[in-house]
Formats: sequence, structure tokens, C-alpha cells
Amino acid sequence: MSAQLVDVDHQAGVVTDELAEELRRRLTPDRIITDETRLRTFECDAITGYRVVPALVAFPETTEEVAAVVGVCAREHIPYVARGAGTGLSGGALPVAEGIVISLARMRKVLPPDVDNQRMTVEPGVTNADISKAVAAHDLYFAPDPSSQIVCTIGGNIAENSGGAHCLKYGFTTNHVYAMTLVLPDASVVTVGGDGIEQCGPDLRGAVIGSEGTLAIATSITVRLLRKPEDVQTMVADFPSAAQAGEAVSGIIAAGIVPAAVEMLDELAIEACEAAVHAGYSLDTAAALVVEIDGPAAQCEEDFDRVQEICQEAGSTHVRVAADAGERMLIWKGRKAAFAAMGRISPDYFVQDGVIPRTKLGEVLARMEEMASEAGLRVANVFHAGDGNLHPLVLYNAATEGESERGEELSTAIAELCVEMGGSITGEHGVGTDKACSMPKMFSEDDLEVMKRLRAAFDPTGISNPGKIFPTPRLCGEKPGPYREHPLEASGQIERM
Amino acid sequence: MSEVTTQQRTPAVSAGREKRPSSTSEAAELLRATQGSVLLRGGATKLDWAGRVDEPDLLIDTSDLAGVLTHNPADMTASVGGGTRLTELQRHLKGDGQWLALDPPTAETGATVAGLLAAGDSGPSRLRYGGIRDLVIGVTLILADGTVARAGGHVIKNVAGYDLAKLVHGSLGSLAMIAEVVVRLHPRPSGALTITGTADADQATAAAVAIAAGPFEPSAVEWISQSGSGTLLVKTEGAAGYLDSSRSQLTSMLDGLGVTTRQLSDEDAETSWQEHAAAVRGEEQETVVRICTLPTRLGGLTSDALDIAAAADVEARLISSVSLGMHTVRIRGGDAQGHATAFTELRERALAQGASVLLRSRSFEVDELVDALGPPPSTVELLKRIKTQFDPAGRFAPQRFHPWY
Ligand SMILES: Cc1cc2nc3c(=O)[nH]c(=O)nc-3n(C[C@H](O)[C@@H](O)[C@H](O)COP(=O)(O)OP(=O)(O)OC[C@H]3O[C@@H](n4cnc5c(N)ncnc54)[C@H](O)[C@@H]3O)c2cc1C
Ligand SMILES: Cc1cc2nc3c(=O)[nH]c(=O)nc-3n(C[C@H](O)[C@H](O)[C@H](O)COP(=O)(O)OP(=O)(O)OC[C@H]3O[C@@H](n4cnc5c(N)ncnc54)[C@H](O)[C@@H]3O)c2cc1C
Repeated sequence: MSAQLVDVDHQAGVVTDELAEELRRRLTPDRIITDETRLRTFECDAITGYRVVPALVAFPETTEEVAAVVGVCAREHIPYVARGAGTGLSGGALPVAEGIVISLARMRKVLPPDVDNQRMTVEPGVTNADISKAVAAHDLYFAPDPSSQIVCTIGGNIAENSGGAHCLKYGFTTNHVYAMTLVLPDASVVTVGGDGIEQCGPDLRGAVIGSEGTLAIATSITVRLLRKPEDVQTMVADFPSAAQAGEAVSGIIAAGIVPAAVEMLDELAIEACEAAVHAGYSLDTAAALVVEIDGPAAQCEEDFDRVQEICQEAGSTHVRVAADAGERMLIWKGRKAAFAAMGRISPDYFVQDGVIPRTKLGEVLARMEEMASEAGLRVANVFHAGDGNLHPLVLYNAATEGESERGEELSTAIAELCVEMGGSITGEHGVGTDKACSMPKMFSEDDLEVMKRLRAAFDPTGISNPGKIFPTPRLCGEKPGPYREHPLEASGQIERM
Repeated sequence: MSEVTTQQRTPAVSAGREKRPSSTSEAAELLRATQGSVLLRGGATKLDWAGRVDEPDLLIDTSDLAGVLTHNPADMTASVGGGTRLTELQRHLKGDGQWLALDPPTAETGATVAGLLAAGDSGPSRLRYGGIRDLVIGVTLILADGTVARAGGHVIKNVAGYDLAKLVHGSLGSLAMIAEVVVRLHPRPSGALTITGTADADQATAAAVAIAAGPFEPSAVEWISQSGSGTLLVKTEGAAGYLDSSRSQLTSMLDGLGVTTRQLSDEDAETSWQEHAAAVRGEEQETVVRICTLPTRLGGLTSDALDIAAAADVEARLISSVSLGMHTVRIRGGDAQGHATAFTELRERALAQGASVLLRSRSFEVDELVDALGPPPSTVELLKRIKTQFDPAGRFAPQRFHPWY
């Protein structure tokens, strides 16, 4: 089984003082960290439950420097992990013990935009929001808009194939990248994609986007820029039940309208958001839908009127239309603050990220409620309702004996319920460390084995972000599966070491 | 004008070597039970794209791996057998006011969903909806050793695991057999407006830039070269109110660029788009090249193509998705040597300017005179390793990407 090809633990090298010295010479001394206290800053991403202190952190500033660090790792069989802003929510940038973290934070150059061709080349450490800021004067923007956009980097967006509230209409990162320069795990530098939107041969750019730093490090990215829509209309509609709000969403879709965004918040989520940012959501409603329509003014107007009618037909008790850009921003501020706002109503919480076919919403909400009451915990819900991406927030108190374990179990059970409903364990946060053990719920052994073949082609010795995406016996406490020969082994081209 | 026939595009295989499995498991079993080279055939519209595969030991026809497996109108997703013809899928979806938002020129002639994904083919509407790479949300693949693997799923938003659908996009049957495809659907637009006009390459480019900067959501900005000038076709879709306001705005914008416009009735528009698709498909004995570049390079590419063609005593005709920078160049007239020279020089010039180039159809005589793939990309070693991982025995489409992998 090619899994063996990427299992390098037994041959991993170590970061010696000489090696750190070599890297200091290759980069500059101040851009190599080995001091324990400073290393601790890199021990986790936004999933703080997983922590591993790396042996060294490097801050390359050019593609060549990234290749140099990766080259040393390849030579010495030292595992490495690329890192952007560390806002990942699946432990994707979790360091490997004794390994190296390659931080792209110092690679923040933005080349001048090509306005007529609507594209721009940036380095991986540039934040998502800074891309749009750099081209705002040309009425252009970068469409993927994760809630973390002020902080998270384009490199991280590529690794996670990030999306945001507006991906229902505009798609994810993979739909907005033309070309990338990559450093492969053997330290070679390649380009995928290019000026042309079609390439001769397999779409490697597409294969790398969403691969969570396990296939390559992106060091230069040419993104697609969209023209800002002529008109944007936003409203919040209150509903007496989440099921009715769900019906309204189905009605909108059935009417042939593709809104820019459809978000749903339940009562608990609204309570938290209001406590945090006072965005003007009604506190006495079971569910609120945020619907945004954008596009040419005439089209927008027609669709927006229709959406309001549909909401009313579905039993909406109150509709509030944003009168101007300021009110619209406030509505979004409330929605985007949802995760952070949970701190207002619960000392601790787990953020879940599952996807269901949208039509299963009512059923899933009911099941989730049952599961929560069995666990004796509360669950707040914010969803990207248009595409069925749920973000249940499992609230708990770590100080209460056993609650964090119950919370974690409930959160995992919810993700796996999504798979049972024909959905996915993750819509945007990635598998990383956190969900590797749930992958077998969604994919068969053969599915995973074939994915590992791709991994082995990019990274035959498994040094690039090992331990992520794929379940390992150590992480998941499984018994190793039955022995299977890899086709290359059978043909005598490789040997097991 | 005679269109290219399937007979010409399908290589010779002796009787008994052609198989038509009727399920994923049957296809997997077939691959498990056999050895030797394999050519996968959907509708055979694009079997000769890239390197030509001669006389495979086994030809797998996907026509029985066909049919709509699931369609969830409310979730706007569907799954189909890979051998399903796009036209059949569209017919199935029409009743619910939906479609798979693809309009490849080969649809009419029977292109299959898996064949489209494997070829990475797209039509004018890619401008609005993205290409097939953007619309496929899940795949079931069968590897050369019979391993069946799924990636993606049935929901639009999903980042679990590697996106293997992207890997087979453009692979032209060289990595794995695509047995099933899950797609995201769109509502059929309630109305459409097509405006046409006479424009040269520079005017067409200016039009595309102006349209992109304006308050439109264009579904197509296409240009067909004619000697000295060309025809511009602009399409936008939506509600009546939007189409009304776009009609006058687009017309006056194009007039301002010196393009004399004509608005087409729905019927005439339909005919124009059919003619456009036929123009992209080309005619027998032509050498057809796909070139993708920066949208604003249209003028340069056109004059390069015309100059190079004239020097080689052949004719060149371009059909361009202007805003996408996607061009089909048809080399015609003259002799095989002229085709080969014009193609090779045009590719060299285009690659030097950062474009990507794929040789599509051509005659066997031209094949003898050209290097179908050209200089290898920077990823060539990686591609070799992927091929070795997915198909270690080198069974699928052996010559397709030769000598790259
Ligand atoms: C008499 C006749 C004349 C025709 N004339 C024309 C014509 O002039 N012009 C024209 O464009 N079409 C023409 N066609 C249409 C063509 O034959 C279509 O029917 C065909 O369905 C479209 O091919 P395809 O897109 O499915 O892919 P194919 O051309 O079959 O294959 C495209 C590529 O994808 C690979 N592939 C195919 N299926 C799979 C799979 N399941 N998994 C992995 N890889 C796969 C192939 O190996 C190949 O590399 C004609 C058809 C007939 C019957
Ligand atoms: C409050 C909050 C809200 C969020 N909201 C959203 C949301 O709405 N939508 C969404 O999709 N996500 C969201 N996220 C998750 C997270 O912000 C995204 O996954 C983001 O893309 C991570 O970017 P980063 O720079 O922080 O990457 P990191 O966390 O540093 O790394 C993430 C992964 O990317 C890899 N990586 C980093 N840089 C590169 C590179 N240059 N090349 C290759 N691999 C690289 C790492 O190895 C790691 O596997 C949210 C997170 C938080 C904390």
C-alpha cells in the first residue's frame, strides 16, 4: 500500500545545531528561530487543543529561500510544515515534533495588478483582505471572503481552498487562482497554471489547491479579480423556526435565484452576536436569515423583491432591509463575529464545520438537538445556508469535569452525522489533524489509498506536513489495516525500507 | 463542408478488443482481468487531442455507463454515469428549469460528461459559470489495476480529501477512467440577449474590456475572425428588466467603439450560436489548435496567426472567447507541410508569450511532421511520477502525452 511511501517517522532526521547554523547562513541569522520561548508561538493554529513545539522556524523571503529550506529538509529527511497566519481551524499548520516550520509571513509582496486582464500576482503571506484593498481603486476585488480575511493569508486560503459567505455565487479559492509557483518536497520549483485558463494536461493547480500543505508550498500566486457588482442589496428576515427559514432558502433556490450569500443564525447565535457587536438582529426570534443579492441593478432589484416575497410566504415575521452600505456592513459585522462572540455566552466552545445537502436541514437540526440534549450541552448554529455548510458551535465549560470530552464527542458526532446525510465532514476548515480520524467515515480504504498515491507522487518521502488529512494508527488508535502490496512494489520498482 | 467522422478519429481495433461495460464494477473487473494498453472512448469527439493513441489492446466504450443516477432539483446537484451524453443530461434537467452550465461546441455531436472532464473542454459560457472543472463536485475513478476510488461528494461545498476531479481534468484518458461524475447545476436563465457586430481584433478586445468594466454579467464575448475583420457575439442572460437595460447600454457602448451592432431575435441568436459551435469544431483535414492566453493578447495572437499562416501558404481562422483569452485556431488549405510549419511556429510564438497550447485535431499526414506536445512544462517530472503512481504499467492512452509521460 502506498501509504508506506509516506510514512517516514522511522527515518526522520533531527535539527542539529550545525543544521540550524547552515540555515542561518543560507537565510539570515535573525530569520531562523530555535529559542524555546519563541518557538512556542508556533505550537498551534486556531485549534489550540493540539500543540506541538517545532525544532526550528524559518522565515524565507523568496522562492529560492523556501526551496533552500525545503532542500535541507529533503536532504536530512526532516518533516516541515508551511505556515501562513495560523488561523486554520483544523490543526493544518500544527508543527511536527522535531520538525521545521516554514513561515511565509515575510513573503508579502504584491505586484501591480493587470487591470484589463483582471489579475494580480502576490506572495503567499499577503492577507486575503489586502488583496482586495490593493485593487479597490480599480473597482476590483478578490472574491473568496473567509470571515478571518483580515488576518488569514492567501497561502493558507490556497491550502484550505477557503471560501466565505459569498461562495454560493462566486465559488471558492480554487475558482479564483490562475497560476502558482510551487516549491515541491524535493525542493524543485515548478509553475502550475499560467496566463491561459486551460493548460495542456492534468490540472495540477486544481489538485494542489485544497491539499492542506501536504503537496507543495505556494510561493507566488496569480489571483483572479472580479469587478465589484453594480448593486448590492442585503436583508435580514426573522423566522419563528429554523425549519421555516430553511423553507425560505429552498424557495429562493427553486425560484432560480442564486443569491450572493444566504446565512442563517439561530437564537443562541443571535444572542451571542448581539452581545458582542450590537448589529441590530432581533433577539426574540428563533432564526434569522441574512440574504444578499448582487449584480446588475435591474436584475438585483427584481430578484430582491422576489426574495422578500418568498420570505414572507415562508412565514417571516420581520424583514429588515439594509438602507445603505453602512447598515449592510453592520449586518455582516454581526454575522462574521459569530464565532468570537460565543465567548459572551459560554466559557468554551468547539466550532464544527460540516456540510449537508441543504434539503436535509430540518432533519439534521432536529437530530442535532436530540444529540445535544443527550450530551447535556447547548449547540448554537450559524450556517452558510445556501450551500448547506453548517457551523454548529458546541458550548461547554472546560472547568466542569468531563464537559470538554463530551463536547468534543458531540462535535465529532455532528460532523459524522453530516456524512450520514450525504454530506461532508468539512466545507471549508479542512481535515488537518482534527478530522483525519473521521476520513474513513466519508471515504473507503481504496479512496484514501488512491489519494495517497497522489501524495506519494508529490512527496515520496512524506516530509511535507505529515500526519494531516490521512488517519494514522497513532492519531486514531486504529489497528493497521491488512498488508497490501503497492503496484510499484509488485513490479519491483520500489522497496519497503 | 464535411465534418470529421468518428471513424477517422477512432483508431483501428480488432474485433473482440472493444468492450462496453455497463457498470462501474464491470468496468473495474474488465481492467482487473486484462493487461495491455487501454483507450477510453466517450463519444469520440476528441479522441485525437494531444498525442495520438494507435491501436490499443483494449478499447473501452463508455456508452453503457450512461444515465442520470441521481438528480436532486432542490439541492441543484446531479450524478451521472461518465458515458452520459451532455445533451441527454440537459434534456433530463430541463423539466426542472435547470442545466449543467456548459455549452461546449462538441455537445451537439454527442460529447459525454466524462469525455468533457477528461478533455477539459469548455464553451463560451465559461465566462459566467466557470468551466467543467468548476462545476464537477465529485468523481468515481477506476484505475488501471481496477481500483475504484471516489473523491469529492454530493454537496457543493466540500474540502475533505484531495480534489481528484481536478487531476483528471485535461488528463485525456491517461490517468484513470472516469466512471461517474457528480455536478453542480444552475437555474436556466429566464431570458437571453445576443448582440452581434462587425469588429476587428482590437475592437473586440476593447469591447471585452469595456463590457467587463460595465454593469453587466456577460455570459459570452466571442469573436470569429474573417479576412480583414471579424464578427463579435455578445450574450447576457437574466430577467426582462435587466435585458432591456443591457440592450441599450451594450449597443451604445459598442457603437462608441466603432462596432456596428445588430441585435438578434431569439431564433437568429440560436442559429448564430450553432454556427459558432460548428466553427469551433472545424472541418475535416484542418489542423485545430487551442491557445489560451491573456485576454488582451487577442490582437497580437491574431496577427501572428495570420502572418505565420500566410508565410506557410495556409489559411488561419480564429474563434476566440475574448474575455477568457481562449482561442481555437483552425489551420486550413495548403498542404500537410504548411499545416505543420504554421502550427509549430505559432506554438513557439505563443509559448514564448506565456500562452498554453494544445494540439487538437489534425490529419495523419500532419502527425508525421509535428511534435504533438512540444516542449515539456516545468512539472514534467511530477507528471511522470503521477503517471507512475496511478498507472504503473502505463496502460491508459500510452502515447497521449508522449514524451512528457
Ligand atoms: C458519425 C459521427 C460523426 C461525428 N462527427 C463529429 C465531428 O465532426 N466533430 C466533433 O467534434 N464530433 C463529432 N462526432 C461526435 C463525437 O463522436 C461525440 O459523439 C462524443 O460523444 C464526444 O466525445 P467525448 O467528448 O465523449 O470524448 P472522447 O472524444 O470519446 O474522448 C475525449 C478524451 O477523453 C478520454 N475519455 C473519454 N471517456 C473517458 C472516461 N470515461 N474516462 C477517462 N477518459 C475518458 C478519451 O480517451 C479522450 O482522450 C461525431 C459522431 C458521429 C457518430
Ligand atoms: C475566526 C475565524 C473565522 C474563520 N472563517 C473562515 C471562513 O469563513 N471560511 C474559511 O474557509 N475559513 C475560515 N477560517 C479558517 C482559516 O482562516 C482559513 O483556513 C485560512 O485559509 C487559513 O489561513 P492561514 O494563513 O491562517 O493559514 P494557516 O492556519 O497558517 O495554515 C493553514 C494550512 O495552510 C498551509 N499553508 C499555509 N501557507 C501555505 C503556503 N504558502 N503554501 C502551501 N500551504 C500553506 C499550512 O501548512 C496549513 O496546512 C476561519 C478561522 C478563524 C480563526
